[in-house]
Amino acid sequence: MSIAPILNKVFLVDLLKGLKVTFKYQHPKEVYTEQYPLERPAIAERYRGLPRLNVNPETGETLCIACNLCATACPEHLIVVQSERNPVTRRKEMTSFTLDVSRCMFCGLCVESCSTDCLELSQDYEFALYSRDGFILDRERLERGPEPTVYTR
Amino acid sequence: MLDYVTGYLSSTVTPGQAGNWLWALVYILIIFGGVSGIVIVMNWGERKALAHMQVRLGPMRVGPHGLMQPIADAIKLLTKEDIMPSEADKPIFWMAPVWVVMIAFSVFIVVPFGPTHAVTDMNIGILFMLGVSSLGVLGIVMAGWASNSHFPLMGALRSSAQMVSYEVAMGLAVVSAVVMTGLRGAGPYGVGDGAASGTLSMIGIVQAQQQQHVWFIFKFFPVGLVAFFIFAVAMIAETNRAPFDLPEAESELVAGFHTEYSGLRWSLFMLGEYAAMVAVSSIAITLWLGGWLRPFPSIHGPAINIPFFWEHPELGVVDFVFSFAPAMVLFILAFFAFFNAARMPKHPLLKIQTLGLYAFGLVLGGVGLVLLAPPVRDRVQDIFWFVFKIACFMYMYIWYRATWPRYRFDQLMKVGWKFLLPLGLAVLLVTGFMGLSPEILAWLKGVR
Repeated sequence: MSIAPILNKVFLVDLLKGLKVTFKYQHPKEVYTEQYPLERPAIAERYRGLPRLNVNPETGETLCIACNLCATACPEHLIVVQSERNPVTRRKEMTSFTLDVSRCMFCGLCVESCSTDCLELSQDYEFALYSRDGFILDRERLERGPEPTVYTR
Repeated sequence: MLDYVTGYLSSTVTPGQAGNWLWALVYILIIFGGVSGIVIVMNWGERKALAHMQVRLGPMRVGPHGLMQPIADAIKLLTKEDIMPSEADKPIFWMAPVWVVMIAFSVFIVVPFGPTHAVTDMNIGILFMLGVSSLGVLGIVMAGWASNSHFPLMGALRSSAQMVSYEVAMGLAVVSAVVMTGLRGAGPYGVGDGAASGTLSMIGIVQAQQQQHVWFIFKFFPVGLVAFFIFAVAMIAETNRAPFDLPEAESELVAGFHTEYSGLRWSLFMLGEYAAMVAVSSIAITLWLGGWLRPFPSIHGPAINIPFFWEHPELGVVDFVFSFAPAMVLFILAFFAFFNAARMPKHPLLKIQTLGLYAFGLVLGGVGLVLLAPPVRDRVQDIFWFVFKIACFMYMYIWYRATWPRYRFDQLMKVGWKFLLPLGLAVLLVTGFMGLSPEILAWLKGVR
C-alpha cells in the first residue's frame, strides 16, 4: 500500500478540500439568488407567457381579421372569437375575443395558426390572481398587453 | 461605600477572589448580556455565512443585508403561541429549556476574558467547567422524556449517548493540557523560564502559557496540536453541531429533542445551544490558544516612548503595533459595511437601507476610533483577543456545518471510541514523557 492515501487520511485532506470549496463560494459574485421584485430575471425572446393581441401601431386598429383559425387550432377550445360583417366595407370585423388562460398550456398552436401576426405570446409571467374569473381575458385586456406588477415596498 | 464600589477597579484579582459581590454581580450581568449579544450576532452571521457558502443571499429584507433579522426573529418567537402537548410531563417539560440555558450560562462564571475579567477564579476552574457543561445533557434528556413523543425521545437518547462518548476523549485532551501547565520539557522542546507549577485554574492555565512563552497548541509540537484537534472534534460533538448533529437531524428526527417545543421555549433551547458553543470554544481558547493573550505574547520588541501617546517604557514596539488590532478589526468591518453599501443596487426603494448600512459602517468606525484612544486601547486588549478568538471559533462552526455531511450513528461512535479515545490516551502519555524528558535523561545517565 502506498503512503499517499494514508497521509491523505491522516491529514484529513478530503475534509480540507471541502472546506476550501465552501470558503471560495463566499465571494459575492458567486451568489446565484436574484432579489426578485427589485432585480427582474432576463426572459428569453421565445418565452411563452401571457397571450396578447397586437394592434397596428400606426392606426391603433386591431390586426385580427376574425378568421377564427386560432379558435379551431386550440386543442382545449379556450378561444372564442365573435365577428360581424361590416355592411360598408364588406369585411368581417372582430367584435369580441376571449381567451381562458386558466386552462391554457401555452402550446403556441394559436400563435402559429394566426395569419396576421395578431395573436402572440408575450414575455409576461406575472399573472397570479385571487380569483379564477380574472383568467378569462377579454379583447381589451389582451390588447393592453403585459402589466408587470410594480413593487412599492 | 463608594470606595468599596470603586475599590475593585485597581484590583489585580477577579471580583470573586476580592470578595466584592457588587462587582461580581456587575460582571455576571455584563457576561450574560455579552454572551446573549454574541448569540444574536451568531444568529445573523450563521444565516448569512451559511447562505453565502451555499451561493444564496440569506436574509436581505429586514434592515440592510438583513441586519435587523435577529430582532424580527425575537419578536416573532416571543409572540408565537406557546404549545405544550396535553400528554407532556408538564413540570419537566417546563423546566428542560430553563435548565439548558441555566447550565450554559453558569459555565461562564470561571471563563477568564482577561487576567482580572472573570466573575471568579476557582482553583478547580477547568474541572468546574467540564462538570457543569456536561450537565447540559440532562436538560436535553428531560426535554426528550417530557415531550412524550417518539422523535424527541430518540433525539434525547442519541444526544446522551453521543455526549457521554465524546466527554471521555474530551477529558483526556483536557488532562493533557493541564499536565502541560506543570511541565517545561527539555532540549529543543524546553520552553519558558523558572519552575512550572501545575494548575487547574482557568486564569492559572493562561498565565502558565504566558510564563512558558508558548500557547499550548504549539507546545511539544505536535502533541499540543493533536490534543487540540481531539478537543475540537469532541467539542463539536458535545454541542450537537454539524457534522455531529444527530440529536436534531432534520431529515431523520424532525428536530430531535425540541420537536414539541415552540415559541419562547424553543428559543431558550437555541440560546442555550449557542451559549454552550461559546462556552466550549472558550475552554479550547483558554487551554490551547492562550486565552486573552495576543499572538506572540512574549515578543515585545525594542522599547519606544512616544510622548502623550505611548507611555509604557517597559513595553516595546511590537506591543505598540498589536495594541491597534481592536481598532483595525473594527475599521475593517466598517470598510466592509461601506463597501457593501456602495454595492447595493441603485433602486429608490433601497435608499433607506443603503443609508442604514452607511450609518452602521459609521457606528463601527466610531467604535474603532474610540478604541484608538490610549486608555481604552490598553484596557480592551485582553477582552478583544478573547472575543476575537471566540469569533474565529464561531465562524469555524458555521464553516463545518456548510461543508461536511452528517455522520451515521455507528460512524459517530466509531470516531469517538475507536479513534479519539486511543489517540487521547496516546497524547496524554506522550505529553508526560515529553515533560519528564530531563528527568528520564538523567535517570538513563545514572543507569549507564
